[in-house]
Amino acid sequence: MIMDSGMTDKMAVNDHTLSKENVPALTSLDTFRIGIVILMGLVPFIFPSFRVMDVMAKIMIFTLVVASFDLLLGYTGILSFAHGMFFGIGAYSVALILYHTAAPAWYHIIIAILISLVVSIGLSLVISFFSLRVKAIFFAMLTLALAEFAHILGVQWTSLTGGEDGISFTLPWIFNFNHTFGTVWHTQINGRLVVYFLILFSTLFLFAGLVRFTRSPVGRVLQSIRDNEQRAVALGYQTFRYQIYSIVFGSSVASLGGILFAMWLCYVNPDSVFHTAIMVNILLMVLIGGMGTLYGSVIGAAFLIITENWLPQLLKSAAELVPQSHVIQVLADRWQLYFGILFVLVVLFFPKGVLGTIRAHYRQRVIESESIENQLK
Amino acid sequence: MTMTPAIETRNLSIQFGGHVAVDCLDIQVDPFCLKSIIGPNGAGKTTLFNLISGQYQPTQGQVLFNGKDITRMSAAKRAQLGIGRSFQLTNIFSSLTVLENVRLAIQSRQQIGMVFWKDFSKYPELEEAAYDCLQQVRLQDKTLHEASVLTHGEQRKLEIAILLALDPSVLLLDEPTAGMSLEDVPAILEIIQDIKSQQNRTILLVEHKFDMIMALSDSIAVLQEGRIICDDTPEAVSGNPVVMEAYLGGGVKHE
Repeated sequence: MIMDSGMTDKMAVNDHTLSKENVPALTSLDTFRIGIVILMGLVPFIFPSFRVMDVMAKIMIFTLVVASFDLLLGYTGILSFAHGMFFGIGAYSVALILYHTAAPAWYHIIIAILISLVVSIGLSLVISFFSLRVKAIFFAMLTLALAEFAHILGVQWTSLTGGEDGISFTLPWIFNFNHTFGTVWHTQINGRLVVYFLILFSTLFLFAGLVRFTRSPVGRVLQSIRDNEQRAVALGYQTFRYQIYSIVFGSSVASLGGILFAMWLCYVNPDSVFHTAIMVNILLMVLIGGMGTLYGSVIGAAFLIITENWLPQLLKSAAELVPQSHVIQVLADRWQLYFGILFVLVVLFFPKGVLGTIRAHYRQRVIESESIENQLK
Repeated sequence: MTMTPAIETRNLSIQFGGHVAVDCLDIQVDPFCLKSIIGPNGAGKTTLFNLISGQYQPTQGQVLFNGKDITRMSAAKRAQLGIGRSFQLTNIFSSLTVLENVRLAIQSRQQIGMVFWKDFSKYPELEEAAYDCLQQVRLQDKTLHEASVLTHGEQRKLEIAILLALDPSVLLLDEPTAGMSLEDVPAILEIIQDIKSQQNRTILLVEHKFDMIMALSDSIAVLQEGRIICDDTPEAVSGNPVVMEAYLGGGVKHE
């Protein structure tokens, strides 16, 4: 995770060979990453409780959504409040198609993916062309208004969306939760497990795509735009084009995340996918993990979703230890208060987000040890 | 000499409201020479640079690059043609590493700005070229530092490295030593001397440090109120009483 561009630069320059012909050996960091993925794959077999699996699936989905938001905010310097809207577009496209189809088949999911991609790309192009050239604050406000509009549309257009009640639907083909394929290691292999692995592999694939994108020549230009757009123009980059790439790619990934989310819950309503609170959560996750780190989204998503799911319970069982105290019962009910405190602490101790701060420390150490080496020479 | 000047302006003027910043200015810069432009504050030195690099459009007159009229060309186009400029205020990517700053400049010359599927480290030749540029400005030991932690002098050097990475045939250096501590100045002087001695770039330099100008210049143009009052060799300019009167108010300090 810490092993970022800076490190590769260092190796390249210090060696003066600069060639990358030999395949590099696995670093301990790579091993750690692979370990986490394997662990995620084993979760359904280790923990019989659905709760754990549910939390893990949500962490994976939000990792993806948050990482795609980081591409916009952390890498390109675009603050778009419409990111949650694209997540909702994905969720609703799969929900609506499966709900309004008499006998859904596997290809309806493909159609939903295509539709959500077309809508997301089209909409992000429209947003870019109309508002990217204006000042950042206006862009933020415009996207906020658009996201709110999407929420209202979801609530009001009852004939299509079912309004506030939302729509529940069943998945076709092997994804259907009622399908069972047998048992492995005391765990039933059913449609839900198939969806779990679909989420795991989709997240892995798309996240890798995001990492690759940010490390490509285009991704590097994006970072330069975030830093100093005027300078990037002076170098001869057509920054507008690059910003569009970023928005289009980021929004598409967010809408794919929405599809996974809807497939996992088999239910959507306007509040669960279009609400501003979702957008705020995404923003919080990016800040906690560290803007411009991509891998930080794993930390941010895990932190937020785990505390949201288990902090209330934890507090409740803690309060049960002292059942006679009314004050403690009341205090234990306000889990969001403690969440707020936790968040403040994280921001206080990790001003650049958890991963961002760790990386900054690490880089500083590398530079310091290097200058000591130079002095010894 | 009948050589086509690398940069030439003809009757060039620009007016801001009622103020004429550059007034019917004719200047010629011979290829591979270093011409300095001096003059008191507000004489129009930076404005002239902005006109040559394309940040401003003149109200009247022409800018020629190797004999070609580029008056109506955009700043980005002129940069692609080979007119590179540095800014009076430091203008770098401060949160990126020093190497990355220069690597991005090199990348913009390549046709890979649209490649999004390949890792940037698959292009080691860019890093190599960036490293060479950094060596030229003696920043090779700082490649991995974040640009924001460099000293002011080092940031100015980095800016020159970025400029060199764009491989321009004409360099417009706008006060490269501005705001720099005195001990940093000789290093910049040496770097400019190096670039000059390679004999492949034309340099236009705006500076206030007289000793530095005398040491570097092939010719010096003196600007006052938007006009050139003298354009000659360093010796002739420093011996010209009118210039000394106008530019330095009489007393030339030779430290």
